[in-house]
Amino acid sequence: MKGYKFLTADGEGLFSRFAWPLPNGRPGRWVESEIEPCRSGIHACRKDDLPYWIAPALYEIEVDGPIEAHAIKVVAGRGRLLRRIDAWDAATRHAYGQMCFARAHELVAASEDRFDDWAPTTEIALTESARLGFIAATIAQLIGGVAAHLEERRRQSEWLVAHLALD
Amino acid sequence: MADSSHVEHGYACREVVELVSEYLEGAMTPEQMTRFELHLNLCDGCFSFVEQVRTTAGMAGRLSEDQISDEMKTKLLAAFRDWGPE
Amino acid sequence: MIVPAGGVDVADGDATLVARLRDGDERAFEAAVDSLSPAMLAVARGYVRTRSVAEEVVQEAWLGVFKGLDGFERRSTLRIWVLQIVANIARKRAVGEARSLPFSSLEVGDDEPAVEPERFRGADEPYPGGWRSFPTDWRTLPQTRLLARETLDLVDRAIAELPEAQRIVITLRDVIGCGAEEVSEALMISDGNQRVLLHRARTRVRARLERYFDG
Repeated sequence: MKGYKFLTADGEGLFSRFAWPLPNGRPGRWVESEIEPCRSGIHACRKDDLPYWIAPALYEIEVDGPIEAHAIKVVAGRGRLLRRIDAWDAATRHAYGQMCFARAHELVAASEDRFDDWAPTTEIALTESARLGFIAATIAQLIGGVAAHLEERRRQSEWLVAHLALD
Repeated sequence: MADSSHVEHGYACREVVELVSEYLEGAMTPEQMTRFELHLNLCDGCFSFVEQVRTTAGMAGRLSEDQISDEMKTKLLAAFRDWGPE
Repeated sequence: MIVPAGGVDVADGDATLVARLRDGDERAFEAAVDSLSPAMLAVARGYVRTRSVAEEVVQEAWLGVFKGLDGFERRSTLRIWVLQIVANIARKRAVGEARSLPFSSLEVGDDEPAVEPERFRGADEPYPGGWRSFPTDWRTLPQTRLLARETLDLVDRAIAELPEAQRIVITLRDVIGCGAEEVSEALMISDGNQRVLLHRARTRVRARLERYFDG
């Protein structure tokens, strides 16, 4: 099965710090789950999962072995990185973040509820696309419940798929 | 589609710092791990905290180990010779 | 992956080492003593009162190792097997000792927060349970500072000053590099207790380091 994987700019797992064998014209070598420090297998995103895991570098990953589907990720026995998705660069990340921020404004403006001090004000926070996506989805949920949260995440995922030309 | 609201409104930072060792030991269920990592993805404070704990453990690994005394080593070597093949 | 600080890694090539010991190879024996004795001492200290008694236990354990070496079958690693011998001997020695052992269950049951509660916002504040101010990202510290002698000495002192049970667990797990199950079994405590003790030890040492770097 093919999926996606966000890593640090250096190709490490964000939380595991595991240094993934990177693709270079050809797929990186297979990694089995025993190597992962958390010992729970190889994690990958389906398209719908992408917005939850935003990070500097994005790769396409192939996974097999036993594959378990979880709420916002899949966990597999082994995986290998197929290619880096170069379209996911600093400019795209910034554009995504701005899209999410604009959506948050839209939701707040259209709502009868009051939202005080919801917007991040520091320069750094304004460029953090993962956080901005989270804010938009959270505001959606506060207005319209879980269904609205999931809908907002779907919008985010669709934006990513379109702008990154993911199949 | 799964109800992921519990995932978003997951752990508070105060809880995360108590769970860090379970996380690093791989003792969480996949669901717990998802909630935990999602929190780390969005919370720089807790992300830094987990890195600090990892770094602390790594530093401990660089310490030299507490050895038995030289006197004891000599005794042990003598005992080993006594025990050894004739 | 935490790498043990020194000595031969006897986990790999156990069979070779055992064969050399059986042959009376003294250099192999010295390497084994250097590699295994720190962990043996730490386990012994989990049961007996003083370091000198712990050394006696370790000595007796090595005799037990010699006796058992001919029959050693690779059901576990050499280290796991040796630590079990230490635990059995130490436990018998400790029966006669008056003081309560470091791993009596009450000690583990006490509440000890990993971070002082004042570091987090209260229930009636915005973002309840969140950090008041974030911990520093130590990745921004220069490597030279992180690995300086002074810093490691601080870690060493911090570990030495931990409550006994925490000190023993972090020594076995992080300083020496033993596995979780290996340590739980040698100290005869549950996985959960072992993890709690490791957690407390690491977070206490972390707090010391934080004060040092931020101060």
